[in-house]
Amino acid sequence: MSFLHEVVFYTLTMSQTLAEKFYYLMKLGREFELRCKEEYLKGNISGFLHLAIGQEAVHVGAVVGFGKGDLFCPYREHVLALARGIEPKLIMAEMFGKVTGVSRGKGGSMHLYEPRLDFYGGNAIVAAHIPHAVGAGYARKLMGEKAGILCILGDGATNNGTFFESLNIASLWEVPVLFLCENNQYAIGTHVSRSSYLKDLFLKARDYMPSVQVDGMDVFEVYRAVIKAKEYIEEYGKPYFIEALTYRFEGHSMADKGDYRSPREIEMFKRRDPLELLLKRSLKEGWLTEEQVRLIDKKVERLVEESVEFAKNSPEPSEEELYSDLYCGVCSDVIP
Amino acid sequence: MDYEILMPQFSDTMEVGRVARWLKKEGDFVERGEVIAEIEAEKAVMELQSFKRGLLKRILVREGQEVPVGRPIALMELGERIEEVRRPTAPPTEERKAVPPPIEEAPKVVPTKPPERVELPSGFASPYARLLAKEMGLELEELQKEGRLPSPAHAKDVEGLLRERYFTPKALELLKEYELRAEDLIRALPDRKIDEDTLLAYVEREGIPKRLPVSSVQKSLISNLSKSFVLPHYHIYEVFDLSQIPWDKDITLTHWLIKIVGDAMQFFERLRALFKEDYYLLYPHSNVGVAMAVGEELYAPVIKEVNRKGLKEIAQEVRELKKKAEEGRLSLEELQGGTLTISNLGMFGIRSFDAVIPYGQVCIIAVGMQDEKGMAHITFTFDHRVVNGFHGALFVKHLKEKVLDRNYIRFLKKV
Amino acid sequence: MLYRDALNLALEHALEHDHRVVLLGEDVGFYGGNYKVTEGLYAKYGPKRVIDTPIAENSIVGTAVGMAMMGLRPVAEIMTANFSMLAMDQIVNQMPKLRYMSGGKVFLPLVVRMPQGVAKQLGSQHSQSLEHLFASIPGLYVLCASDAVSAYHVLLYAIRMDDPVLFLEHVLLYGVDFPFEPLEGFDPFRARILREGRDVTVVSYLKMTHDVLKASQWLEEREGISCEVIDLLSLRPIDFETIYGSVKKTKRLVVVYEAPKTLGLGAEVSARVSEELFYFLDAPPLRIAGEEVPIPYNRKLELMAIPTPEKVYAQIVQWGRRHGL
Repeated sequence: MSFLHEVVFYTLTMSQTLAEKFYYLMKLGREFELRCKEEYLKGNISGFLHLAIGQEAVHVGAVVGFGKGDLFCPYREHVLALARGIEPKLIMAEMFGKVTGVSRGKGGSMHLYEPRLDFYGGNAIVAAHIPHAVGAGYARKLMGEKAGILCILGDGATNNGTFFESLNIASLWEVPVLFLCENNQYAIGTHVSRSSYLKDLFLKARDYMPSVQVDGMDVFEVYRAVIKAKEYIEEYGKPYFIEALTYRFEGHSMADKGDYRSPREIEMFKRRDPLELLLKRSLKEGWLTEEQVRLIDKKVERLVEESVEFAKNSPEPSEEELYSDLYCGVCSDVIP
Repeated sequence: MDYEILMPQFSDTMEVGRVARWLKKEGDFVERGEVIAEIEAEKAVMELQSFKRGLLKRILVREGQEVPVGRPIALMELGERIEEVRRPTAPPTEERKAVPPPIEEAPKVVPTKPPERVELPSGFASPYARLLAKEMGLELEELQKEGRLPSPAHAKDVEGLLRERYFTPKALELLKEYELRAEDLIRALPDRKIDEDTLLAYVEREGIPKRLPVSSVQKSLISNLSKSFVLPHYHIYEVFDLSQIPWDKDITLTHWLIKIVGDAMQFFERLRALFKEDYYLLYPHSNVGVAMAVGEELYAPVIKEVNRKGLKEIAQEVRELKKKAEEGRLSLEELQGGTLTISNLGMFGIRSFDAVIPYGQVCIIAVGMQDEKGMAHITFTFDHRVVNGFHGALFVKHLKEKVLDRNYIRFLKKV
Repeated sequence: MLYRDALNLALEHALEHDHRVVLLGEDVGFYGGNYKVTEGLYAKYGPKRVIDTPIAENSIVGTAVGMAMMGLRPVAEIMTANFSMLAMDQIVNQMPKLRYMSGGKVFLPLVVRMPQGVAKQLGSQHSQSLEHLFASIPGLYVLCASDAVSAYHVLLYAIRMDDPVLFLEHVLLYGVDFPFEPLEGFDPFRARILREGRDVTVVSYLKMTHDVLKASQWLEEREGISCEVIDLLSLRPIDFETIYGSVKKTKRLVVVYEAPKTLGLGAEVSARVSEELFYFLDAPPLRIAGEEVPIPYNRKLELMAIPTPEKVYAQIVQWGRRHGL
């Protein structure tokens, strides 16, 4: 009896810890992005701003589940960066184009990089980062490291030639990469049914590697699938594919109203808002208390506020910054 | 009509091919698609198949020989197999020069029709011509109106005018010999006509260097010297007793040495050899070069077949060659073919020196001054790839004995 | 030493002395490379470091980028520059940008090698010279080599660099035998003056350098025109200092290149010289370049489409006569 008790207790505390972590990161992502939207409309943020509102469960579940390992992302990567542990103020400063930003104000919303946290960016060319992940995985394996690579990609990318090239190479060379396709069903304004012959995108990878489909609105399901995949790629050193079904509540970017989707459709998916789902379930299962939620909400609010203050008060890049970071100008002397 | 088998082009960059191996011989019957030869090109060996059936009549290119793409390498007589054994018309030999050597690339230059110079109304000039004129105080446009400068004017026109204005013709001629530009001189000595004396005084005062052109002969010599210098070589230093050699004005020590060395070479085939990477070419006769300074330049014409010639004949030939060199009439033939060269600086009182082997040869002998007892320092430089230390030592020892062999010397004198 | 052997020597040297160096590309491994540049390296360093790839140019460069991000020093081969157009996303959007837009956080010690140029009747899709496309992209280094010595040193230098380098070779140079002697302190960013002259500065690179040298010889012998021949080893950045120095002396500039004249590298060189040295020029700069057509298959037409030593000679003479040389 006491053994069973222990197991129950153990899973409960695990779920409690996880739920707290998920809720914190997803809430932070949600609030942070809503604030980005606000600052964009105020004119403080410019350029393309792609919000992941509605897709937080995929981003948080994947990054937390994957743990140690390199991360390659497309351009919708704020929540991924936050989940990886990049400070909110450095990301906000980047979006403000300030020199204190994570990419010194030269990258912007779509190009957040932090190699110290194994975070290799948002890439603004659809599918272009997929071969990077494969190459990175090859390099890690060659150097005898085990962790593997997590490559996030959208549904649109799976129609691109480079995607298939990379699947082929990753399997051929046996590279430990987890391809995680977040299928939010729209490539900007074109529904997946009008751009892809195979409607279930995970089928595209199934001949190359283990490939599964999960509910991307349930952070626990994403988390579990990623853990399983991670174990596989670490043990066999081979690639793995997950399709996570999700939905984007906002337009593709701030320039897109998203009105090619019916209000009913949006409403239907909003009823499965991943943040709401997590909150409801956590409260019901007793993983989180109202008090905890209130404290987290407060902390998130403070962090977001601080990040905007930090960004506002940060200096513009100096004129020398125009040419710095272009070439490193070092010729390393390793080869005699 | 015989069918020509051509050197094939296996790749778009292939320009020459080497016949690595003939798999068929003359008189063989060849089926279509049969491999007849292996061709080496761009480091790879490829098989040459026959496109026709017939008799391989003649092989035109030896194994190992390199020919340009598209040259015939063999002849075939097309047709059915003939039962009787056909004799090849002639065995393939070295002498048969079926394939002319690759032609040196000749510059086929497209003839250009002279385009007219652009003619514009007065006042036009290249930016630099304008700058130059202004600097030198010339009124460009006026000069153009007077017809003394063309329009548009270029640097050459302005410089020409300046030279004409500031230099006497003789000074201008003289200027060419110095590392000095006319414009700089005009700038340095403004407002005066520059004649030869002014120029020379300026050159003297400013320490301007004079240009000494390098002749084409010297250029090739210099390049050969550098090529030769990096080859593996070594020296043998020895003192020779030359007291037995009765040399005089007519038949000098150099002439004697040419003969003695030439005879000695007959006993050492390596000293009659040319190095060809894959093999040595051994010449039957002793061909000895002799270094001679003519004017400012150095020549080393070759006395061929020294072993067959007498002393007088050699002396006569050396004199003739020297005369030819002085008149610049030496032919390429007369400068080539040697395997060993003698350089004698003894007459200048030099006691001992060493020399660089002429490119392609295997040895040079540097002869120093004879002292009162008739002793002389002689330095031998050998190409180690051809003559190793053992050979070298034997050769020197043999020579040392020869110069002291009275009977031999007496015999030479008689002939 | 053959040009290709010099490249092979540089690659072997790099593989031997730095375990982070890997080669990848179509046919580079087991087959030894389509131009035999990587011959023997597969046998010596194994399939993990000399990697055969599928025909997927964009992913060849893409995986190389990923390898470089993780600290390897990949040398990717694209079979010919014509095929690199399939990898233009990686070459233009990725390689030159990642370091800059990450605020200097990402390093890409990466070399992409490719041959280009007209060989012999390979047709329009195998004969292009595309250096100007790459040389117009900030963030890339575009290097090239015209003989065995430069091939060895420039390639080795490129592998040593911590920045992305595009290394251009010329198809027709692979089988050419050049004198070879390694040099100390070789700097690919310094253009080489291969022939000194008084009257005209002729700037060129890759195979055209040899055509220019030949033409210069004839010009000197037949016309008394003395050319200073400058061989560029870096097309981005271009060593303008050396060019300016020479043009200040000769007052005249000619640029010879194989690509079509319009918007080629010569356009940039002559524009810069005109901007910087206008008052020192004695004639308008001249570009001798390819015709404005895809390269035709027929040999006669093919030769008409690109500069040859004869054309360089004739055009310099004509231009000289028109402009007071």
